[in-house]
Amino acid sequence: DEACVAVFFRRFLALQQHHLRALDAFLLYVLLTGALQFGYCLGVGRLCFPLWLPPVLTGGSLFLCSAVCLRIQINPQNKSEFQGISPERAFADFLFANTILHLVVINFVG
Amino acid sequence: MQVLSGCEVTISNETRELLLAAISEDSSVTQIFHAVGALSGFGLPLASQEALSALTARLSKEESVLATIQTLETASYLSQQADLSSIVEEIEDLVARLDDLGGVYLQFEEGIETTALFVAAAYKLSDHVGTEPAIKEDQVIQLMNAIFSKKNFETLSEAFSVARAAGSLSQNRFHLPIIVVPDGPAAVSHHQPVLRLQVTNVMSQILTQVSVKLDQAKSVSSKATVLQQLPFTLSGDFFELNFMNVKPASGYYDFSISVDGDKRFIANKVELKVKVSTEVGITNVDLSTVDKDQSIAPKTTRVAYPAKAKGSFTADSHQNFALSFQLIDVNSGAELTPHQTFVRLHNQKTGQEVVFVAEPDSKNVYKFELDTSERKTEFDSASGTYTLYLIIGDATLENPILWNVADVVITFPEEDAPSTVQSKNLFVPKPEIQHLFREPEKRPPTVVSNTFTALVLSPLLLLLVLWIKIGANISNFSFAPSTIVFHMGHAAMLGLMYVYWTQLNMFQTLKYLAILGGITFLAGNRMLAQKAVKRTH
Repeated sequence: DEACVAVFFRRFLALQQHHLRALDAFLLYVLLTGALQFGYCLGVGRLCFPLWLPPVLTGGSLFLCSAVCLRIQINPQNKSEFQGISPERAFADFLFANTILHLVVINFVG
Repeated sequence: MQVLSGCEVTISNETRELLLAAISEDSSVTQIFHAVGALSGFGLPLASQEALSALTARLSKEESVLATIQTLETASYLSQQADLSSIVEEIEDLVARLDDLGGVYLQFEEGIETTALFVAAAYKLSDHVGTEPAIKEDQVIQLMNAIFSKKNFETLSEAFSVARAAGSLSQNRFHLPIIVVPDGPAAVSHHQPVLRLQVTNVMSQILTQVSVKLDQAKSVSSKATVLQQLPFTLSGDFFELNFMNVKPASGYYDFSISVDGDKRFIANKVELKVKVSTEVGITNVDLSTVDKDQSIAPKTTRVAYPAKAKGSFTADSHQNFALSFQLIDVNSGAELTPHQTFVRLHNQKTGQEVVFVAEPDSKNVYKFELDTSERKTEFDSASGTYTLYLIIGDATLENPILWNVADVVITFPEEDAPSTVQSKNLFVPKPEIQHLFREPEKRPPTVVSNTFTALVLSPLLLLLVLWIKIGANISNFSFAPSTIVFHMGHAAMLGLMYVYWTQLNMFQTLKYLAILGGITFLAGNRMLAQKAVKRTH
């Protein structure tokens, strides 16, 4: 396990591209915010559950969209797997998914 | 004029021409009706055939109920030589348009006034033409139920129409509904053995030239026929029958009565519920104390109504108190089972009272037993001297009974005696209930939530710091139109999300989103394409 984690970190720090790093920073932000809200809800009690749901959903989905989809598709090292999709197209998909996500969340929040 | 014979009213030629001119296809039915009525009232000649054809033509154009009713009235002014059969057929059509309400009422949806006007007009025309109106007997009864259902009227015209209907139903050539009214309540007893009935028409005019007959009288409880085919005798304005001659048992009887004398009579078979009352007597009243262990023989005292038993009886943990009695019909000697047979125990000191029901056994002997251990909850375990009353009552009894039979000393086991006994007064104001409004949900103190809000926003700061450190910048920002449009469109979409949250609903949002999204997409496409081109170069 230790070796695995070490390899992961080394690879991560070797990243030079600004785009990816900025994206990673964003991912970190989303993660932190979600975790904090989760902790708050646990601390205060069950009554904030309906209020807690939108943040969790948003956080989780944003994370998914950005990390998994956009990041993978933008990373040039993965270009071989995503032949037909240019980074621009990935970005457009990201925006579209984001729009739908926000629509759903706002609808839920009411 | 016909009604005011002493009053001369002169009609000028112009008025007459006006009235005659009104009778044409171009006037409404109401106008024709008024014109024909006026001419007929003044005794002026009118052309019945012309009026008839004008009416028929107008009626096919005006289909309302009121117009048809007015046609019927108008036709009754026309000469009998004219062929009024087509108008007479309208009566049947109108009957078909009546609404049946629960099988009891038959009326037009326009209301009672229209229904009453219809009845008056239909009978007036039928009398004029000499044909029986196409209204069946139960329909007439239902019409009457509807028309005479109100005793207070809102408008004078409604009251007038009801009076007209009543008049036409009491005087016409075909249908005369009969009303049978009992004199006072329909009840007979030993003191009053005669059932008196009055027969009237719809205008409450008393009819005596009729024959009233009892078809049959059946007991409601036993369904046995007590009397059959007996005529009533006329005495003054009333028809009388001595029912007690057949010595009926007390209770209710269904009388089927028929009134005859004129072929025009309808609704002349009537059902009447007659009550036969009697007096009750209490016999064989035995009061006893029964030992629970059955070691001592029960002591029984017989009491006669209305005397009170001498001495008092005891009921405690060793002995039960028992009461038994029988109820008979004083006049016939038959056993009775009235509806109310209560034993009431009244605590003399505290005013408490407890009421029990005495039940008859198979031999119709009423029994009541007081066991102190079983009944202590009803008494609140309040020991003391209680006065015992016997309450007998029924709708068919003329002499309900409240009889102070005896005094009973009841002793309850000591350990359950309450410290103070309060009489259960049910009619004092109860303690006021304070309404507990739903508590708002407990929210965390403001300090905590404010702290947390700040905490949640901190990753945002972290993000900005990281971005700056990484060197993310907007140096590649080109001010091409598509870029600007794209960014504006995107910002607008985010703004739309906010507006959606505060004001819009899903449909409106989707509409705006489609527009903005389209623009943004096109602009974005251009922008990204340009970036792609720049990248590959």
